Amino acid sequence: MMSVLRATSLLLFFTLVGFGLLVGGDSDDARWLALLGTGWLLLLVAFWPSLPASLPTFNRTAIRTAFLLATVFAVLSVQLVRIQVVRSEATVTRRALDPVTGDAVTNPRVIESDLDVERGRVFDRNGSVLADSVRSGDVYRRVYPEPESAYVVGYYSPLLYGRDGLEATYDAELRGDEGTNALVRWRNDLLHQPQEGLDLHLTLDARLQRTAHELLADRPGAAVVVDVETGAVLVLASNPHYDPNRLFTASPPEREAAHGYWQTLTSDPASPLLLRATDASFTPGSTFKVVSAAAVIDAGFASPETTYEDDGSFEVDGRVIPENENRPDDSTIWTLREGMAWSLNIVFAQVGLALGPSVLRDYGDRFGFDEEIPFDLPLVESQLASDDEFLDERPALAETAFGQGQLLASPLHMAMVAQCVANGGQMMRPFLVDHLRNEEGDVVERTEPSVWREAISPDAAAQIEEMMVGGIERGVAAGAAIAGLRVGGKTGTAELGEGQEPHAWFIGFVGDPEPRYAVAVFLENGGAGMAGSLAIGRELLAAAMAGTP
Amino acid sequence: MIARSRFRFTEFQLLVAPSLMAIVGLLTIFVAPRGRAEWSWTDIWVSLAFVGILFGMSLGFGAIGFRGDQVVFPVTATLAGLGLLIVQRLYPDLAALDDALAGLAQRQLIYLLAGLAVLFVTVLLRRRVIEWLRRFKYTWMILSLGLLAITYLFGTEIYGAKLWLYIGPVSIQPSEIVKITLVTFMAGYLEDKRDLVGTSWRLGFLRLPPVPYLLPMGLMWAASLSVLVVLNDLGSALLFFGIFLVMLYVASGRLLYVSVGLATFAAACWFAYRVFARIDIRVQNWLDPWQDPRDLGWQQVQSEYALASGGVLGSGLGMGRPYHIPEVQTDYVFSAIGEELGLLGSLAVLALFLILVMRGFAIGLRAQDGFARLVAVGMATIIGLQTIIIVGGVVRLIPLTGITLPFVSYGGSSLLTNFFVVGLLLNVSGLRRRSVNGGSRR
Repeated sequence: MMSVLRATSLLLFFTLVGFGLLVGGDSDDARWLALLGTGWLLLLVAFWPSLPASLPTFNRTAIRTAFLLATVFAVLSVQLVRIQVVRSEATVTRRALDPVTGDAVTNPRVIESDLDVERGRVFDRNGSVLADSVRSGDVYRRVYPEPESAYVVGYYSPLLYGRDGLEATYDAELRGDEGTNALVRWRNDLLHQPQEGLDLHLTLDARLQRTAHELLADRPGAAVVVDVETGAVLVLASNPHYDPNRLFTASPPEREAAHGYWQTLTSDPASPLLLRATDASFTPGSTFKVVSAAAVIDAGFASPETTYEDDGSFEVDGRVIPENENRPDDSTIWTLREGMAWSLNIVFAQVGLALGPSVLRDYGDRFGFDEEIPFDLPLVESQLASDDEFLDERPALAETAFGQGQLLASPLHMAMVAQCVANGGQMMRPFLVDHLRNEEGDVVERTEPSVWREAISPDAAAQIEEMMVGGIERGVAAGAAIAGLRVGGKTGTAELGEGQEPHAWFIGFVGDPEPRYAVAVFLENGGAGMAGSLAIGRELLAAAMAGTP
Repeated sequence: MIARSRFRFTEFQLLVAPSLMAIVGLLTIFVAPRGRAEWSWTDIWVSLAFVGILFGMSLGFGAIGFRGDQVVFPVTATLAGLGLLIVQRLYPDLAALDDALAGLAQRQLIYLLAGLAVLFVTVLLRRRVIEWLRRFKYTWMILSLGLLAITYLFGTEIYGAKLWLYIGPVSIQPSEIVKITLVTFMAGYLEDKRDLVGTSWRLGFLRLPPVPYLLPMGLMWAASLSVLVVLNDLGSALLFFGIFLVMLYVASGRLLYVSVGLATFAAACWFAYRVFARIDIRVQNWLDPWQDPRDLGWQQVQSEYALASGGVLGSGLGMGRPYHIPEVQTDYVFSAIGEELGLLGSLAVLALFLILVMRGFAIGLRAQDGFARLVAVGMATIIGLQTIIIVGGVVRLIPLTGITLPFVSYGGSSLLTNFFVVGLLLNVSGLRRRSVNGGSRR
């Protein structure tokens, strides 16, 4: 009887404590303490010393007291296992906020070891250093020598704001905590020697990135260049941006300065910490017509020669859509090819109606709208419509097909749309990190280009590609032509409503004759006319081709 | 009494462990931050001297014919050696933070030497110590309570608690002395009234405990507790209460006393929790220090970081950053051990304390003399409870109350009195069959 009770108590003790340690590891401390207290009582029952009645009082009481103290030591040990093993990792990196000032409290060990580590360097595709760790006194300083590319690497601010960008995504590799030989790592750990950080080699081209910034000048916007065949990102320019050198801190005065700089960054209405190329999405305007055209051709609903009526105004369910001012003459019948070249909204309104909501959603999906596109940096999701029923309304469907409605897309995503069309309908997975190298210079990890989406058939892609090239030869994007090269492109003016300058877009590709590079240029509130975005796109494509051996 | 000298072989063997620990540990501390395996004999003279004294004392015990326990001293030496290492490791970092802590290591060494001397003298005096403690139990008790009262009147307040009495350059912590006199007084009193404590008083239908005999003790208890609440030293109050209950229970065997004691204790806790804001703060800090991490919870949060950073194997002596915890050298020394020696180290320290406590109870069980055995059990309880209270507070099993980890924490009063505690344990273990004061032989 007694032994059954004891065995049950012991079993219960192990179940309770085991549950508390492993399953309820994240449960709050008060509940865990209650659990442990119950466990202690069970432990008392399980092991309560049964002493012969003949034993003198003193011996009995002394043995029981000793037993009681011993069980408390056991409970202390269990608690130590919880703190030092089970909850260890969660606690080490735990951040807590001061309720009054809102200041964060973090583990000083993590911060200090961040300054002790010689992080791996970051290079662009030609071997220019984008981020370096420089020994200074007893700490390693992080420096970013290329101001136009620095923010793509992110910032490294151990004492204050942590890390961001590639510094965050590849933190473990840059520190040497991952990717290197496990045995070597274990040895270094045991001997308290610093780990060897891995170097990042990017696909970014610092020279081209500089060109992009010269072209953007001080206008807010973004410019992206990707390799059509691989999806490698050569330019990822965002305006405005920030200088990560000013966020690195190793001493209190620097801390003050960095704090001040951070305040200006966060209070700036232009939000320079928000990188336009990847962190934000905007109405794509007519550049989305590439997706609509791809959908209607790939679905077999139309061909480039299919004709649409456009007499300057179009009524759908009582809503009148006026034509823009792009028509070169007063014809009323236009082919899809012409509609694309002259960016005719009424042609694409009819394309949208022909597609219907479900087919348009399907192609939105295939092109990566409302999807998380895998990338080395956080990339905001683009959207077809913010609410599901929106496209069920025919006017909304028509508007969406020519790039308005509730559409939002990031500049990088629009570059990938151009890449997809130029690459036979295969959207590659965009990437920024080409390979990682260890201290000996051996390549530890290499990014293999991979197809992310088979969006449309090669046949349909070829037709869209041809239409985009035609738009440069004769159409609104004629200004993008580059002598001796085959250029395709599509402009976009995203109307934002009363009183706001529209966004100016350009997406396109260049090749000789096969497409090599795709581009997307976005000027926030860049105004109608598209000359700005178009010119930047052309210059970037020309520069990319000029840099190609 | 002349006793034959005898070589204490077991003790001598067991002392190898703390000796190696002290020497290798100190070497690690000096070599680790340099990153090069360079050292000189002068780096580790402290450990060499410590080891020399340990073996010398063991030989000394043998030379004076001491036949007592051979495990208690090596275990104590290990813990004290660890305390020595931790202070040697911490003082350069702490001195860099606060000039007032620059002399930490030297003072700790002096205290340690004095403590070992106290231990040796306690053993050397043999039964005379026990006899004095028993004969003058009222005197000791009144003197120590008087010391507490003086502390209340003239003491220095640090961190809101009046714990220290400054006499010239020397500061003493009277509560450390009171914990010992409390045990010896209760042991003496309960042993004197042994035949009566277990009986009961009839009052009509009611069977009451023998009130007149428990009354002076109750008064004593109330006085010491109230003084402590006034002095703001909650850790010692908890310790005294625990000692009181254990002594009463062990001597009388009456669970009733323990229940009444626990009930009044719970009531006192509730009362204190409702009345004193600072206890409210402690309870909040116990359940969730992360709520106010920069202010009230700062120390506890830093300690959590330290323990968690240690993991299983620890960062290694001298390789961690325990100096981020305020008061790491006293209240939070256990967190420093947890960080640098890991779970293995912190569990080992707990195990050493457990061995010491269990050995103390075993000494009490073997002792023949009624007073001596109660003293042994009381001394073991002091060490056990003090460890539980401070470690439990550090690992947030109970609210934290400032108290030292015996032998390991920095602090003169604590070191001296705890070495005296162990001295008494050894002393009792060495007593021959003839009981103190020529009392009855059973």
